[in-house]
Amino acid sequence: MTDMGKGKPFLEVLASAIHEDYRFPFLELFAFLYAAGTFVFASFGVNIAAIGTAPQAMATANETIAYNAVNSILSMPLFIFIILIFKNIAYGLGSDLEKGIVQTYFSYPLKRYGILTAKLLSALGVALLLFLGIQISALYVLAPDIIVPQLSTVLLTYAANLSYPLLIAGIMLLITLQLRRGGISLVIGLVLYFAMSIVSAIATVFAIFSESPLSLQILSAISPSVVLQQYYGGSLGSFWAPAFSEVLLYTGVSYVIVALVFTLGYIYFSRRLNL
Amino acid sequence: MSLIVAEGLSKTYGRVVAVDNLNLSLDEDSVTGLIGPNGAGKTTTIKMILGLLKPDKGMVKVFGQDPWDNPAIRSMIGVVYEKAFFPAHQKTLEYLQRVCRIFGVSESRAMEVLEMVNLQDASDREIRALSAGMLQKFAIAHALVHSPKLVVADEMTANLDPQARSELLDIVLQLHKEENVAFLLSSHILPELSRVCDSVAIINRGKVWAFGNLSELYEKYAIGIIRVTTDSASELESEIKKLKYVEDAESDIRGISVRVADGKEDKFYEDVPKLAKKIKAKILGIETGSASLEELYRLAVSAKERK
Repeated sequence: MTDMGKGKPFLEVLASAIHEDYRFPFLELFAFLYAAGTFVFASFGVNIAAIGTAPQAMATANETIAYNAVNSILSMPLFIFIILIFKNIAYGLGSDLEKGIVQTYFSYPLKRYGILTAKLLSALGVALLLFLGIQISALYVLAPDIIVPQLSTVLLTYAANLSYPLLIAGIMLLITLQLRRGGISLVIGLVLYFAMSIVSAIATVFAIFSESPLSLQILSAISPSVVLQQYYGGSLGSFWAPAFSEVLLYTGVSYVIVALVFTLGYIYFSRRLNL
Repeated sequence: MSLIVAEGLSKTYGRVVAVDNLNLSLDEDSVTGLIGPNGAGKTTTIKMILGLLKPDKGMVKVFGQDPWDNPAIRSMIGVVYEKAFFPAHQKTLEYLQRVCRIFGVSESRAMEVLEMVNLQDASDREIRALSAGMLQKFAIAHALVHSPKLVVADEMTANLDPQARSELLDIVLQLHKEENVAFLLSSHILPELSRVCDSVAIINRGKVWAFGNLSELYEKYAIGIIRVTTDSASELESEIKKLKYVEDAESDIRGISVRVADGKEDKFYEDVPKLAKKIKAKILGIETGSASLEELYRLAVSAKERK
């Protein structure tokens, strides 16, 4: 008989998942694209933000500059980040379910929620750390005078912009668990991501014509970058000038929705997933 | 002590009843075969035993505990699936060392189990570079890392060539003998199970139709069986079934297994050549009481169907 000590199943499943999710060339390629995208856009964005932004009624000038600086460097790297996490969920978790690697994980002494947490930490957590690490480092290097005093604005901007991609990731998780394959969930994820810009434009037009912010408020509950945009410089000031507390509220609500979707995923994985 | 106890286990997929009120118990130190045709319910049963599927009805206990989401049980069981699935881009030895750390055993165990299945020369290969036979051997090595008391293997030899099958079965025998590992092996390839199993559960249409050690089952179902080897099995079977004292006859590609009423064996030996002559069939041999596991399976199933 082999002597059995205390194993580290969670850390080892996490390490195995990271090994598969970020094997060459993904990690190197995506890290390069994040870094390149962040630094290239930052050098323009930070200057434009500093020069071209008029202070808004609800936010201070420095806050608005910090918001615009973050926003200007966010879009390209965020898109790369989204592709990475969608790939990790669809093809990391999806193919593990499809090929039966999850069955192998289920032979290890680890609760089901531990296995899912390890997979999600690899798929989302590592990508998120990479994304925020490079972005915030770049902002700090390029514009410390703007960023350091406005760290809460910077973090809020990231939080507001990340909640919708995280919601899509949660929906993709549910679809992947239900279908046991990643291809369809990847397509649905990308459609949902691109659909937001269309829905957002329609909601804005609707708000302008109806002179009511209701459509944008609803949208803000799942994508709080909409309310944040209005707070820091939106063009609908005549009928919607959200207060900071409103921004926090919508951001909080959006994360509650994200948490609910992921909780559903956990419940399904732990209690219902038959393999 | 029973390693596995299943009572009234049932599972349906839509309208298909995969497992229907199945009862089973597995003792320690045994090598038990779960035999039956494709679609009999073997894999579904095994998945419920392993906690991968929730039964609709009934209960299953492994080491006295519910296997669903139960890490404690997993430290005592090794699992080998029909198709082995592992993270493809990791090297065999490195992955087994990871599994050692998962179970908290010394990393030197990784090479030990690779040597047990003669894969030491592939220790530096990525898992995806292994052949089907090597992958199944690797799966056995993976299942043995933590020295489980029980290995559950579902159709582990189904996709392998005869030589690889034979090697795997040798490994099973060796592990049972030297490390006292109990096995539950499901298979539809019956001859290979007769080599390693001391007991079998015959499963058909989701139910256990017969269960016991092999000698008991042979005694129950195969005593008094006469085996007729012929070149026209199905035609001769039809004629044999017309004999009033024949209780049962089942043909396969090589011949016919026949059960006759007590005291009618001599009469049967007289009648069969006449029947063969009548339909111009060639009798290649007639012998009493030499059923294979395949025949035992057929006899047990037909005995159950007659009831």
